[in-house]
Amino acid sequence: MAEWREYYQNEDDEVEEDEEDSGGAYKISGRDSLVFLVDASKEMFIKGEDGGPSNFDMTMQCVRSVYTSKIISSDKDLVALVFYGTEKSKNPRNSFKHVYVYHDLDSPGAKHVQDIDKLQGEKGAQLAEKTMGSGETSLGEALWCCSNLYSDIKLRLSHKRLMIFTCRDDPHGGDSAKDRQARTKAADLKETGVVIDLMHLTKPEGFDVSLFFCDIVSPPEDESELGLQTEPCRKLEDLQKRVRAKELKKRAQSRLTFSLGEGVNLAVGVYVLARTATKPPAVRLYRDTNEPVRTKTRYFHAHNGGILLPNDMKRSQVYGKKQIVMEKDEVDEIKKFDDPGLVLMGFKPMERLKLHHHIRPALFIYPEEEQILGSSCMFTTLLLKCSEKNLFALCRYIPRRNTPPRFVALVPQREELDQSQTQATPPGFRVIFLPFADDIRTVDAHVGPTASDEQVDKMKEIVHKLRFKYRSDAFENPMLQQHYRNLEALALDMLAPEPIEDLTMPKVQMMDDRLGPLVQEFKDLVYPPDYNPEGKPAAKRKPAESGGGGAEKKPKVEMSEEELKNHVEKGTLGKLTVPVLKDACRQFGIRTTGTKKQELIDALTMQFSK
Amino acid sequence: MARAAKSALVLCMDVGFSMSNSEPGQEPSFEQAKKVIQKFVQRQVFAENKDEVGLVLFGTDGTKNGLAKDGQYENITVHRHLMMPDFELLEEIESELQPGGQQADWLDALVVCMDLLQKETMGKKFERLNIVLLTDLNVQTSADQLDVIIDSLKKAGITLQFFLPFPVDGEDRADGGGDGPGPSAAPARPGKGLSRQQTQGLEMVKNIMTSLEEEDSLEEVYTFSDALQKLSIFKRIDRRPMAWPCQLTIGSSLTIRIVGYKAVTEEKVKKSWAIVEAQSHQRDDVKRETVYCLDDDNETEVQKDDTIQGFRYGSDIVPFSKVDEDQMKYKSDGKCFSVLGFTKQELIRRHQFMGSQVVKVFAPRDDEHAAVALSALIRALDSLKMAAIVRYAYDRRSNPQVGAAFPCIKEKYECLLYVQLPFMEDLRQFTFPVLENNKKFTPSASQLSAVDALIDSMMLVEKDEDGESVDVFKVNHFPNPQFQRLFQCLHHRGVNPDDPLPPVEPWLKRDLERPQAVSARCQTALQDVKTKFPLKVVVKKKEQKTSADVFGSSADEPDAKKVKVDEETEFNLAEIAKGNITSRIDAFAYALLTAPAHNVLHQSGNAELFNSYMQSLKRSVPDRNLQEFWDLLIQDALTLISKDEVDGSTFSKQDANQFLAFEQKEEVQAAPVQEDTGDVDDLLDMM
Repeated sequence: MAEWREYYQNEDDEVEEDEEDSGGAYKISGRDSLVFLVDASKEMFIKGEDGGPSNFDMTMQCVRSVYTSKIISSDKDLVALVFYGTEKSKNPRNSFKHVYVYHDLDSPGAKHVQDIDKLQGEKGAQLAEKTMGSGETSLGEALWCCSNLYSDIKLRLSHKRLMIFTCRDDPHGGDSAKDRQARTKAADLKETGVVIDLMHLTKPEGFDVSLFFCDIVSPPEDESELGLQTEPCRKLEDLQKRVRAKELKKRAQSRLTFSLGEGVNLAVGVYVLARTATKPPAVRLYRDTNEPVRTKTRYFHAHNGGILLPNDMKRSQVYGKKQIVMEKDEVDEIKKFDDPGLVLMGFKPMERLKLHHHIRPALFIYPEEEQILGSSCMFTTLLLKCSEKNLFALCRYIPRRNTPPRFVALVPQREELDQSQTQATPPGFRVIFLPFADDIRTVDAHVGPTASDEQVDKMKEIVHKLRFKYRSDAFENPMLQQHYRNLEALALDMLAPEPIEDLTMPKVQMMDDRLGPLVQEFKDLVYPPDYNPEGKPAAKRKPAESGGGGAEKKPKVEMSEEELKNHVEKGTLGKLTVPVLKDACRQFGIRTTGTKKQELIDALTMQFSK
Repeated sequence: MARAAKSALVLCMDVGFSMSNSEPGQEPSFEQAKKVIQKFVQRQVFAENKDEVGLVLFGTDGTKNGLAKDGQYENITVHRHLMMPDFELLEEIESELQPGGQQADWLDALVVCMDLLQKETMGKKFERLNIVLLTDLNVQTSADQLDVIIDSLKKAGITLQFFLPFPVDGEDRADGGGDGPGPSAAPARPGKGLSRQQTQGLEMVKNIMTSLEEEDSLEEVYTFSDALQKLSIFKRIDRRPMAWPCQLTIGSSLTIRIVGYKAVTEEKVKKSWAIVEAQSHQRDDVKRETVYCLDDDNETEVQKDDTIQGFRYGSDIVPFSKVDEDQMKYKSDGKCFSVLGFTKQELIRRHQFMGSQVVKVFAPRDDEHAAVALSALIRALDSLKMAAIVRYAYDRRSNPQVGAAFPCIKEKYECLLYVQLPFMEDLRQFTFPVLENNKKFTPSASQLSAVDALIDSMMLVEKDEDGESVDVFKVNHFPNPQFQRLFQCLHHRGVNPDDPLPPVEPWLKRDLERPQAVSARCQTALQDVKTKFPLKVVVKKKEQKTSADVFGSSADEPDAKKVKVDEETEFNLAEIAKGNITSRIDAFAYALLTAPAHNVLHQSGNAELFNSYMQSLKRSVPDRNLQEFWDLLIQDALTLISKDEVDGSTFSKQDANQFLAFEQKEEVQAAPVQEDTGDVDDLLDMM
């Protein structure tokens, strides 16, 4: 896909790194789908401790955040919201009692989000009571209904997931016939490839998974996976984390051979765990109908108007006056060095990985047992040993055909779990891209005076007052958030978009309060009283004289005629700064044509070379 | 971003007869030096910077320079005056740069170069003046003028670089400032086999270099082989990164003036390829036209003016004009570097670094108060092992980032290192199955020790004689092979327009391989690993994903629609035409399945190919169980390409329309599935 598109649209652009989720993938491999099956019984609406949100509220917030994140990151995915244990029924053929399909499987839009907002809070509970009510429970019917939702979809579905949100561990109250029906229907669903998860919520007596739900949910993907978590979610944060961990189907960007040496090859999947989310490209719409239009790009001969086929065109670059022409294939071939893959060069201690050797976001690799048996064992051994010896593996990395190599550092990362036993960091190697010599710029360091211990200690106090625990998911992108709020407002005909909270802005007031007099104390230690760091830099400043912090502002250093003449003769005027040159012009009453550096230099040269 | 300031550089090469001598099995110094010059000029030409380069040869049979008078400065030729290097210079070097039969004093040559630099930079603004001397020092020199020369070099601010066939001082500069050659890079030890003149010359080189610079002076003396491998040595004349003046703020009232520079960033190929007409090579002969059309059966074309801009919001498509978008979009209030708070460095993981650059932050050069204030911050952070989390905005038009500023204290300077960190939207929380504690994958003790031994044998950091560890594989000293290869091919094609592209140069290939010493050392350990870890390829999916996968050859395939084409496989028409059968099938199946690709075929003139393929496919539907696949085509109305669409087609629109429908009827009376042992490949052979 990428190649076709690239060929016809971005003729000269380099292949983008992050094309793996650019929509094209969906066309080929089908779409992901997710059904939220939510318990709507009375118990779900009971307020939490200390007036906290009810389980129902928590669930709705969770569903909302999935909806909005799908809209932003994967708008082709299908999501459905179904309630069970309702009084009223609403489903495609109305063949199921006490099952209320609130949203059929569809890609979520602004309307869907708005619908969910209506179900939140006190008013939401009332609305839910009015539209759906709470009634008899039959999970079997609900699951059956859901399986129809899946089968009614004409699109190819690649990944099918169903999440049950409930706080009742024994939904049928001992009705074994209903239990049995639910188990059968769950088995049917699983048979067709649907993965069933339980997002169980807290209830006073505790949630006993083994009573009933252990037979409903899917077994963990892997026998060793944590699988069913026995602890119910108490907090929204935990629930969101748990849902988020399951909600995204992980997709490998590519599968590659990782060669340790001649004849020792394992298979790994390459994953993108972080990539810069950007505003999606605009689509062109036909003015009359607002329907999207497609573009077709054609090349034709300027003189005879004939369509030009790829063979009728070549690529060219001009250097100096020399034109160099190549075939498109040759242009591609130049980029080919070897077949795609990771090739081990050797190992280095971790401290050899420099902080500032950064050119691209990292990737992640994990073994692919399905391609080469034994990969996982080899990989795990390498991971353990590298981690134990505090080493990284240096590899040559070619991500795809006709792509030039890069060197990467494979940094071992062992699995870490957070307090709620959710995986915080997955086991595998991080792939850190290393710079070539060309990527490193020569920066002439500014060497200046350094701070005294007293000054450093004062700053330490400031640092200490403003410390916090950094979390990588703590900041939202205000530009993206604003963009989507704008779209949401337009889609829902709102008068104005909801305001965003810009988390990237410093909380100045709070910082000032915390710091109190420290700032002034620090400034007294480092800045002379007349120094204004916010002003434009004037002429050179000398550091505060020892002892007396209040060195007087020295008059501008004027340049002697002799010095200037010297510069003119040697042609070194260019070394002086614009303000100095301006001053010089003023000093000798030289009129200039402008204030650009070259103009100043020209004027001075004219004056003194006479 | 880089300032427009340019450098002037004179390449001064010894072509005297001693340069053509060589030890058995070694390339003569002349050839090596010529290659260095060639590579360097190549880079300059293709990197298209504004630096000016001159070329002075000494030891030439003739004499041509501004100072030659009364038998002085003889056998020195100014081959090229200071100007931007171009293709002509490359061609001249290739064809005209020949060994001379004379010898000339390299100090005299140096004086000629200085004269050239001074005269020809007069009135122009250059940031740097540099002379590069390539010589074997094997000539009698008169040292009496040395002090005068050093003096005038200093006065004029000219810097020097020497390239010699042997290292200046083997031991001392093994890894001094990090630029030293690896142990294997030095072809000869100093002092050994050097002539009296060479030893003398070497002393003079040291003398000059140490008097010119305060420290690390000998860092600018290289061997030819260094230079060839690591053209990054020419850094000296690289362009300077642009300064980004800003203010670091903490709260509302603490401000420190700062200047940022991009220190590390992924350098991309700057020039892009233009499309030209194949015969005329004229760009203007190719017109590109983009048309907009509705997504209906007729692909009704609409005018661009009748279209408006919109965005997807999930399932909604929201019309949103450029004007409205600009008005409503997030607006940052200009450039900033504002501290949001401070955090432990360990909470910022290396793999969380985002963006494509690292910025070094200093205090402005002329502001010593700012320097003290920033130093206090850097030192405080360093001793607390903390970093600042900051909001960074490059300017009013750019979007804000959140990033980390780490303290960096070096021997000579201190600064903050700024790196972008992720936004919540950038992260993907994938959960992966457990690896450790998984019985299936738990390594045995012998497996662990085998890998342990392998790692030990493959360390790229070695101890030298003094017990210092030396990195033998510093990738940040390697030039990006992509550029080297591109320049090589451009150069080659420029000089020989009709030749095929040359193979990748051996040294470039070598840079991409494991160092030989490491390779040799790890053989035993590798063999052990090989026997202890059974690794078995399951199925080569990519290769076997041909007929079976795409066309569902097995009858019990549950859903032929599950056609999976690996996302990473790239397709291009040329590959299809000449590539192997496998990729052809993949590509065509893929092409068939996606309407945009179908359109591509429409344009690309592969209509013939496509149509004949479709026909053969159609013929094989009944006996190859391809019905489901065919249904897909019907569903997507993917049919023959008609005359209406592409000139080259021999089918009418009607033919095309009937092509699929007719098939449906035919299919009913199709013969029952035949025993078929052939491969689908054969039906594609005609293509």
